[in-house]
Amino acid sequence: MSMMHASQVGTAPSTAHLMRWVIAATLPGIGAMTFYFGLGVISNVLLAGLFALSAEALILTLRQRPVRPALGDSSALLTGVLLGVCLPPASPWWLIAVGAFAAIVVAKQLYGGLGHNPFNPAMVGYALLLVSFPTYMTLWSPPQPFIAETLFNETLWAQIIGTLPPAKLDALSGATPLDAFKHKGQAVLASEFWASQPLPEGTLSAWRNVALAWLAGGLVLIVKRIISWHIPVAMLGSMTLIAALFYAGDPSHFASPLFHLLTGATLFGAFFIATDPVSAATSKRAKLIYGAGIGILVIIIRTLGGYPDAVAFAVLLMNLCVPLLDIYTVPRPNGHSRAANKSMPEGPL
Amino acid sequence: MPAYEFPGGIYPPERKIHSNQAPLQAAPLPTLVTLPLKQHAGNAATPCVAVGDDVKVGSLIAQRNGMISAHLHASISGTITHISNQAITIEADGRDSWQTLPPLDWRTDSPEKLLERLDSGGLAGLGGAGFPTYIKAQVAEHHPIDTLVVNAAECEPYITADDLILRSYPNDILEGAQLIARLCGAPRIIIGIEDNKPEAISALEHALSKIQHPATIVLKVIETRYPSGGERQLIKKVLDRDVPSGGLPADIGALCHNPGTLLAALHAVRDGKPLVERVVTLTGETISAPGNYWVRLGTPVGTLLDSVGLMPDQLHQVIVGGPMMGTPLTTLSSPVIKTTNCLIAASITELPPAPMESPCIRCGACERVCPAQLLPQQLHWYARAENDSTLAKLNLFDCIECGACSYVCPSFIPLVKDYRSAKQRIRLKQIETAKSEHAKHRFEFRQARLAREEAEKQARRQARLAQHQKPAGGGTGNHATPEVDLRSLRIAQAAAKAAVKKAEKVLARAAEQDPKQRFDDLETQLATAQENLKAADARLANARASTTQKETP
Repeated sequence: MSMMHASQVGTAPSTAHLMRWVIAATLPGIGAMTFYFGLGVISNVLLAGLFALSAEALILTLRQRPVRPALGDSSALLTGVLLGVCLPPASPWWLIAVGAFAAIVVAKQLYGGLGHNPFNPAMVGYALLLVSFPTYMTLWSPPQPFIAETLFNETLWAQIIGTLPPAKLDALSGATPLDAFKHKGQAVLASEFWASQPLPEGTLSAWRNVALAWLAGGLVLIVKRIISWHIPVAMLGSMTLIAALFYAGDPSHFASPLFHLLTGATLFGAFFIATDPVSAATSKRAKLIYGAGIGILVIIIRTLGGYPDAVAFAVLLMNLCVPLLDIYTVPRPNGHSRAANKSMPEGPL
Repeated sequence: MPAYEFPGGIYPPERKIHSNQAPLQAAPLPTLVTLPLKQHAGNAATPCVAVGDDVKVGSLIAQRNGMISAHLHASISGTITHISNQAITIEADGRDSWQTLPPLDWRTDSPEKLLERLDSGGLAGLGGAGFPTYIKAQVAEHHPIDTLVVNAAECEPYITADDLILRSYPNDILEGAQLIARLCGAPRIIIGIEDNKPEAISALEHALSKIQHPATIVLKVIETRYPSGGERQLIKKVLDRDVPSGGLPADIGALCHNPGTLLAALHAVRDGKPLVERVVTLTGETISAPGNYWVRLGTPVGTLLDSVGLMPDQLHQVIVGGPMMGTPLTTLSSPVIKTTNCLIAASITELPPAPMESPCIRCGACERVCPAQLLPQQLHWYARAENDSTLAKLNLFDCIECGACSYVCPSFIPLVKDYRSAKQRIRLKQIETAKSEHAKHRFEFRQARLAREEAEKQARRQARLAQHQKPAGGGTGNHATPEVDLRSLRIAQAAAKAAVKKAEKVLARAAEQDPKQRFDDLETQLATAQENLKAADARLANARASTTQKETP
């Protein structure tokens, strides 16, 4: 039994500490999103966090498990926060509740709770909402620094009553850059498409700045050694590579790698979603493959598939591969001539 | 400076400063010692004294039992007051009179003599596992050893015993190293020491500059990182060689000893002093005079700690060994034994109990620090699930139980505890399956013993016959003796000899790989081989006698 424990010396953070660091690292991203999309982002995050905690408390009570330590580890809060930032600003409360319920109850607790869920809970919640409520899930208003303030009263009202008058729908919905590019049509050349100013002024730069804010938070996590570099680097690397291949093949139809990196959920997903330790691969090699797989899937789905953004689906698909990845990437321990999975070691067994 | 690296490792706070300030001193002589019969790897020793016997310091009180075992000597002079299955108790007479063995010279005396001395001195490794020292030399017999590695890393927090003896006896330790190097034929000695012991390093450098040494001695100062004192990690660090999984350092031409063992070996050889005392680090916040002390084996921990100013009201727990790999003591009446390198009398704020365990989130922190490059979190899942075949695939038995993973685990999972119990469970399973095998071997042993007795009886009868027949000038007896084939008997004897050697080798190897195991079965097989050899000897002698008898007339 080892007697020395991390807590007494404060070198290694506790699980709760790790979770809180990740939550803290989302603040730049949330800040940037609030700047461009209004206070609805914050109300989303708060509501999602609240619903997630409530769902966790409810299901733990039903499972007759201790509630307090589980809520105290902040993992449910983190799931809520991550789900909240994925939702269009000021989503109706029931939408958030359904997402949080799916994330916490179905994806996490029904599999055994923290540490046992094979899929990223926030992405399960998000994917469920995306396929079930596509109308609500695409209500991204065009980013407008701070003028969203005037919009906030209306959207907050919409959030509270849980539905939107049809007239407001048009005012709120706007294509995201990925969405716009996806639906430009095959005939149109990319250059013509951009020249036609398909998005309101500043949309692209807004999404880019939001992405950079997520990058900043992610770098903090890497520097603090909360996450390792393997998954984000592998994911962004493979995205760049595959996007570059498409782009080099036909620049008139495919978006540039930089466009893929700086729009949509790419950087958020690379640092905050794909790196979820519970549902990601474990060994270094497995992490590299896992990250690269996500990157490849994101580009393939975005380019050839039916959804403009694909981070959630790519992550969930790669979550499926994790058990296999873990089995086939067992590192070679010291003193073994070959990888352990290839030959049963000699020795006591 | 070596550029070699072992993977993983951690930097726990050292806390060595508590105990490395005071000079090495002798703890007060105990008035009573309890000497456990098992202070080493392998079988417990067998008492060879009786209650009421008077003994001196160094008197043999228990003999080793089987090959993987060590002799035990009285550590104080006095009277044997109690003998149990576990321990021998001696009450002191206060005279501290010694009974030493005749001094030897490691440079000139034969290796056999020196090895015999290591055996009769009761030497066992003073590092942790307590492996009998003469066996280690025997393991080396079958492999060319090119390097003796002196493990002076002492990477556990708190412990400074090696540090202090290196400062106090640099010359003796270098001599001890050369003694062992001579025995295993190593032309080179490398001392691996962490850079947090500047005084020990300069003492060694000074000693090296002054003495003449037949073997090349290299001092390698390595960066301080836990667990660089692990045998495999240190060898990687100073030699850049990987000890094969399930193998021994001897397989790659290295032998590892810690300074305390080398010092004790020299004392046994040069001064004829059996292993009756050792240096123990006494430390922790509840001790007013922490430091390193020469302590007689068998001294109760309680009296020892009292003598260095234990503050009992603040004491939370006493840990034997370092904080990373040590174990908490359940009672202060436990004695100091050959492997006790450190006693930490900790307050509750110093080493608080672990916080409540929370679920593993597969964060991989454990994997990053694992010096054996295992996947601790996977081992954790499968150990809890008791999935032994997967544990084997994940190389559970390569785990050195250093505790780095538990140390960094954000969920405070007692990982090493899980691994230890999984190993224990798997071993028990193996023991179950080995039991029938063992029964077979015991039967074979019985057969061999009967055959040996029969052969010896025949030899005696033959001898008697020869005596009877001599005066008679006989010749009739020759017809009664069946024709014997001397040659085939000689071959049988040689084969029996080889079988004994092989059994010894197998046992020594198995025991060194896993000192915590019991080796009844292998010991039985060795005993069988020995019986066979005796029988073969007797038959050969018998045959020779009858042949000469035949030739006499």
